[in-house]
Amino acid sequence: MSGTVAIVEDEQNLRDNVAFALRREGYEVAVFADGAAAWESFQRALPDLVVLDIIMPRMDGLELLRRIRSTSATLPVIFLTSRDEEFDRVLGLELGADDYLCKPFSMRELMARVKVLFRRLALAAQPGDGAEQLLGVGRLTLDLRRYTALWNGSPLPLTVTEFMILHALARRPGHVKTREQLMNEGYPHDTFVSDRTIDSHIKRLRKKFVAVDEDFDRIDTVYGLGYRWAEEAR
Amino acid sequence: MSALSRLPVRLLAFNILLVFLPAAGVLFLDTYERHLLEAQERTMGQEGRLLAAALEAHGGLDAAHARAILVTLGQRHLARLRVVDRAGTVLADSALLGPRRPPAEPSLSPTPALPAPPQRRLLYLVGSLPFRLLRGADSPVEQERDPIDADTGVLTGGEIVAALGGRYGAATRVLGDAARTVMLNIAIPVRIDDEVAGAVVVSQSTRRIMSTLYAVRLDVFRVFLASLAVAVVLTLVVATTIARPLARLRRRAGEILDRRGRLTGGFEPSRRKDEIGELERALAELTRRLEEHLRHTESFAADVSHEFRNPLASIRTAVEMALEVENPEERRHFLEMVQRDVARLERLLSEVREISRIDAHLDEEEDSPVELATLLTGLVESFRLRSGGSGPRFELDCAGAKATVVGSADRLTQAFENLIANAASFSPPGGTVAVALLSGGGHAEVTVADEGPGIPEEHRERIFTRFFSWRPAGEGAGHTGLGLAIVRAIVDGYGGRVSYRSRAPRGTEFIVSLPLAPSNAPRLSRGPGSSDGAGPEDRGPVSATAAEAR
Repeated sequence: MSGTVAIVEDEQNLRDNVAFALRREGYEVAVFADGAAAWESFQRALPDLVVLDIIMPRMDGLELLRRIRSTSATLPVIFLTSRDEEFDRVLGLELGADDYLCKPFSMRELMARVKVLFRRLALAAQPGDGAEQLLGVGRLTLDLRRYTALWNGSPLPLTVTEFMILHALARRPGHVKTREQLMNEGYPHDTFVSDRTIDSHIKRLRKKFVAVDEDFDRIDTVYGLGYRWAEEAR
Repeated sequence: MSALSRLPVRLLAFNILLVFLPAAGVLFLDTYERHLLEAQERTMGQEGRLLAAALEAHGGLDAAHARAILVTLGQRHLARLRVVDRAGTVLADSALLGPRRPPAEPSLSPTPALPAPPQRRLLYLVGSLPFRLLRGADSPVEQERDPIDADTGVLTGGEIVAALGGRYGAATRVLGDAARTVMLNIAIPVRIDDEVAGAVVVSQSTRRIMSTLYAVRLDVFRVFLASLAVAVVLTLVVATTIARPLARLRRRAGEILDRRGRLTGGFEPSRRKDEIGELERALAELTRRLEEHLRHTESFAADVSHEFRNPLASIRTAVEMALEVENPEERRHFLEMVQRDVARLERLLSEVREISRIDAHLDEEEDSPVELATLLTGLVESFRLRSGGSGPRFELDCAGAKATVVGSADRLTQAFENLIANAASFSPPGGTVAVALLSGGGHAEVTVADEGPGIPEEHRERIFTRFFSWRPAGEGAGHTGLGLAIVRAIVDGYGGRVSYRSRAPRGTEFIVSLPLAPSNAPRLSRGPGSSDGAGPEDRGPVSATAAEAR
C-alpha cells in the first residue's frame, strides 16, 4: 500500500524521524516546517494523508486543517498534539481530524494509524465487495475492516482510536473493561498513554452516540473498575 | 438587621451621647430659676421698702392712710401688698382694691401664664419624668396657706413675726400647683419713731417665672427630641454608607476562593469616590493582579510541559527507530539525535529553573553596586576568546562612561550574556556584534547590535515572550525561546527596560536601560579617557568603535 503523506511539523528532529519511518513503510513523504508552507503546496496538489502538528509558527495546525477541509472533506488528517489541554483535541476533532496522538507518541502507533486510515480510505472507495467483517451487537454494527460504526443504521463519525475502544467494549457486552485494557486496545503500540485519556475518549464516544440518538445510555461507568457495554434489554 | 452590626451601634451610641449634652443643660435651668427667684424677691423688697417708707413719712400707722396709699399706687405694683399693724391685723390689702395692672416689664417677658395645651403638657410630663424622679426626695411638700389666727384674723406667719420683731422676714409657701408654683412672702417692718408700728407684707406667686421656665424646658425637650431623631437617621445613613458596603466587601472577600481553593470572581471596581470606594478599588486591583499572576503561573506550567514534549517525542521516536534500523550509520544518526535532544532538554530544564528563580527570588539576592563598563569589558572579552576568530567580531564601546547600577553582578552578566549570544547567533559570518554603554539622565543604557536578518514586524509583540523563538527558515533549531525572556525578567526586576529597534540597512539593536545607582549620579562619566570633564548628559556615540582593542 502506498500513497503520499505530508508531515507538517516545526520540530525538525521529529519531522525527520517521522519522514524516515514513513519512507521505510513505503510511503511517499513531503515535509513542511509550518502551516503556511504546507498550504502553499496543498493548493497545487493534495497529499493522500496529513500528519499535522498543532502549534506551529506561521499558521497553526487548526487553521491549516480548516483550510484543508474547505477543499477536501475526506483527506485523512492525524493531529500530533503537545498540549494537555482538552481544547486542542476537541477542536481538532470537531474541525474534522481523523485521529490524534499526544506527544511523545510511539512511532509504531503512528504507523499503525496511518495504515488504518489508508485502509479505510481504500475500502471507502470500493464499497460492498462482499468481504465485509461485520460485528452486530443489538442496534450497533461495527465494520471491522473499514473501521466504521453504525448505531440504529446511522453512521457514527469515530476516530480510529474511538473505534477500537468501542470495539473492545461491544465485543463482550456486559463485561467490564478496565482503563488499562481499553488503553491496550486503543493504543496497541503505545505504553505511555495516561489512563485519563481513556476517560476523555469515552466522554467523546458517548457524545457522538447521543448526537445520533438522544436516549443513548449503553456505555456504563463502573466506578473503580472501568467501563462496560450494557446488554440491551430484550 | 444584620447590617446594624457593631459599628453602627457604636456610632448610634456616640451620636446619642452628643445629643444628651444639651439635654444635660436643662439642669442649668435650676440655677437660672434660683437667680430669677432672687431677682423677684429683691423687686418685692424694694416695693415693700418704698411702701414702708411712705407709711413712715406719714408719722403714724392707720388703716385709712394705708388704704389711701395703696389706692394712690393704683395697682401699678407687681406684688400683693398688705399692711399690718403691730398685732398683725391687716389694715389694708391691695388684693381687695381690684386686679393688679403692672406696667409693661422689659426684663422678664410678660408671657401670660396661660394653661398649656394638653398635648404640650403631656410632652412636658414625659420629658420631665426623669427630672421629677430625680427630685423625688423633696417633692412631697406640705401645702401651706397664709397662717391666720382664725379668731382674730391676725396674720401669724413667720415672716410677719420677724418683721414685727424689727427684722426682715421672708417665707415661701407652696401653693400645691402642678408646676411647683410657690407664693413668695416677705415682710418689712414699718418703724415710726424707732418703734416697730407694723409691717408691710409683700406677696407674689412665682407662677410667671415658673411658666417661663416651663416654656424653656419644653423647648429644650423638643430640641432634644429632634436631635435624637437626627442622630438615629444619621446613624442609619452611616450604617448604609459605611457598614453595609463593608459587610458586602467582607462577603465578597469570603467568596473569592471557592471550595476547591480556586480564585473565582473578584471585586467589582467601584465608582464610589470615598474611602470605601478606594478600598474596593484596591481590593479589585489586588485580586486582578493575583489572578493575573496565577494565570501566568498556570500558563507557564502548561508552556513548560509543552516545551518538554517536543524533544521527548523526538527522543522517543529516535530510540524506536534506532532499535529498528539495521544500518549502523543510520542507528548512529538516531542516537546522535537522542544525544542532541537530551542536551536540549537539559538546557531547557536549567533555563526554566533559572527563570523561575528570577521570578521568585530576585529580591532575595544580594544587591551591590555593579560597574557596567567593567562587567561588559570582561563579558565581551570572554565572547572573543570563545569564538576563537571563527564567529562574528565583538566590539565594545564604553566611551569612557562609568555607569554603576545596583543589582546582582551574576544576574546582570546573565542578561547581557544572553543578549550578546542572541546577537552572535543571528550574525552572518564575518559580521559584527557591537556593544555600547552610555549613561545619562539617571539611566545607564547598554545597546547590543547585530548585523543579522532583523526581526519581522509581525513578531514584535512576542519577541520577549517565554518560549517564543523565531529563526529564519533553515537556521539552527534547538533554541529554547527563553533567552530574551530571561533578559526581560532580570531587567524588569531591576526597574529597567529592554527594547529593540531595527537598524538600517540590516540588523537589530537591543537596548537595555537600567536606573543608575543614586549615590553615583554626581560623579558620573569619570572614565579613564574622559578626565576632561564629560558631564552626565554627554552621551557617547552609538556606533563608535574606539574601545575595540585586541
